[in-house]
Amino acid sequence: MAIIETKQLTKHYILGKKKIVVGLEKVDLEVEQGEIFGILGPNGSGKTTCLKLLLGILFPTSGEARIMGKFPDDIEMKQHVGFLPENPYYYDYLTGPELLQFYASLFSLDAGTTKKRIEQLLELVELKDAKRLTLRHYSKGMLERIGLAASLINDPEILILDEPTTGLDPIGCRDTRNLLLKLKQQGKTILLSSHFLSEVERVCDRIAIFHRGYLLATGTLDGLNRQYQAENLEDLFVKTICTFDNQASVKTGETT
Amino acid sequence: MKKMWLIGLNTFKESIRKKTLYIILIFALIVIGASKLFSFLTAEEELKMIKDVSFSAIEFFGALIAIFGALYAISGEIERRTIYTLVTKPIRRSDIVIGKFFGVSMIIFVNFILATIFFLGLLIFKKSPPDVEVLKTLLLIFFELILIGSITLALGTFTSDAFNIICSFFLYIVGHLTSYGKELIERAENIIVKGLADMLYTLVPNYENFNIRDKIVVGLNVSWGYVGYTILYGILYMCIALFIALYFFEKREI
Ligand SMILES: Nc1ncnc2c1ncn2[C@@H]1O[C@H](COP(=O)(O)OP(=O)(O)OP(=O)(O)O)[C@@H](O)[C@H]1O
Ligand SMILES: [Mg+2]
Repeated sequence: MAIIETKQLTKHYILGKKKIVVGLEKVDLEVEQGEIFGILGPNGSGKTTCLKLLLGILFPTSGEARIMGKFPDDIEMKQHVGFLPENPYYYDYLTGPELLQFYASLFSLDAGTTKKRIEQLLELVELKDAKRLTLRHYSKGMLERIGLAASLINDPEILILDEPTTGLDPIGCRDTRNLLLKLKQQGKTILLSSHFLSEVERVCDRIAIFHRGYLLATGTLDGLNRQYQAENLEDLFVKTICTFDNQASVKTGETT
Repeated sequence: MKKMWLIGLNTFKESIRKKTLYIILIFALIVIGASKLFSFLTAEEELKMIKDVSFSAIEFFGALIAIFGALYAISGEIERRTIYTLVTKPIRRSDIVIGKFFGVSMIIFVNFILATIFFLGLLIFKKSPPDVEVLKTLLLIFFELILIGSITLALGTFTSDAFNIICSFFLYIVGHLTSYGKELIERAENIIVKGLADMLYTLVPNYENFNIRDKIVVGLNVSWGYVGYTILYGILYMCIALFIALYFFEKREI
């Protein structure tokens, strides 16, 4: 059974009496244990919506989302999940180590483990020198880094990352990429969303392409390239989305 | 249980690190301190003045601290999206709400105690150690502040930041005017207006119940029965506010 799974997952945002925005429409997604799975899609295609539904930040309009077979409100399941939100915001009056300490305590980690992990993680994201700085004084990339560290504080089995490299410098991007591959070697499952095609190409085992809330294509890169007769990921991305838009415009053309 | 406590502690820590609440507390202390500047009064009048001004300052600035403290606690976390990092942790949403309530109560308590110590110190300095009536007044102010905080907390679970602050202040003001409201209601002629006003009167917590300082300052006594009854009244409304908060936060999409 897939470790992350959505069935006909749908989210409609209700903005007014008659105004409904489709966030996600009947999405069936399966992420297998131990793989790195990338969600791609234009802005507003539903990537963040999908991740938020999995984590119980939003509630589905219909359909269901499960992690390790558990619904998003399961406390025990969350013990094994790490999450990095898009454009992370944290308690800006805390320092990096204090932030990690606070989150560690919410996972009920013991003092020894916590101390050791904080050291390791700060080393890993290269924020050792900024130990005494409150997050208010962090740069955008530093926030992204501490966010990544925070998402790893419980040594999660499943890592859900919403655009983990947005805001990072080229070296930070490369380090993150290597980190993800290392985590995969340790047997972790990673679900990420990204706009960086080259990055996705290099780390992801399988991908999904979202557009306007629909899941257009999912599979391995090679498989999809063959299926759509695409040369590379960019070509594939453009092809799937253009095909969908053309079909959509044909449909609306017929009705009007 | 431990996690609720951690949430509360973090909320309290935030209030210490942010300057806003400090500044309000300092204002309160300045006002209390300034009340003894009226040295042209007779000793007895001066004491009345100190009590009157100090009670009012502790109540008013305490209300500001309660409202802003509670505003940061839930509305602020939703607005700044730090709440994402809490709801995705292994902690129930209800525990977050109760933890926040602990935190806000702690903020209110500590600021209240600091202002109170300053005030009592002033009384002792004026060779008029506080009697039990002064303590009754302070006790009721404290419960009023907790109630104000829990209402802002509850509003935060289903309204936006800006709307919350407007509602909180509206309720604070109206809650102090309810006794005038009662008179107006009696005189109302239109049955619908009367009905609506009556409903508003019962729904809005009557903060004026907690106000016994006018009596205490002029030397009247208030029975423990009344104090106990009013505290129960406060706890009842606080529980209602907490239930509302628990109910809405459980379903809140963030
Ligand atoms: N809280 C909300 N209220 C109303 N509409 C929303 C809300 N959040 C998202 N949407 C809408 O849902 C759609 C999908 O948004 P989502 O944030 O999931 O996109 P995304 O794929 O993450 O985009 P990006 O690449 O820009 O991060 C968009 O049309 C967006 O306008
Ligand atoms: Mg997004």
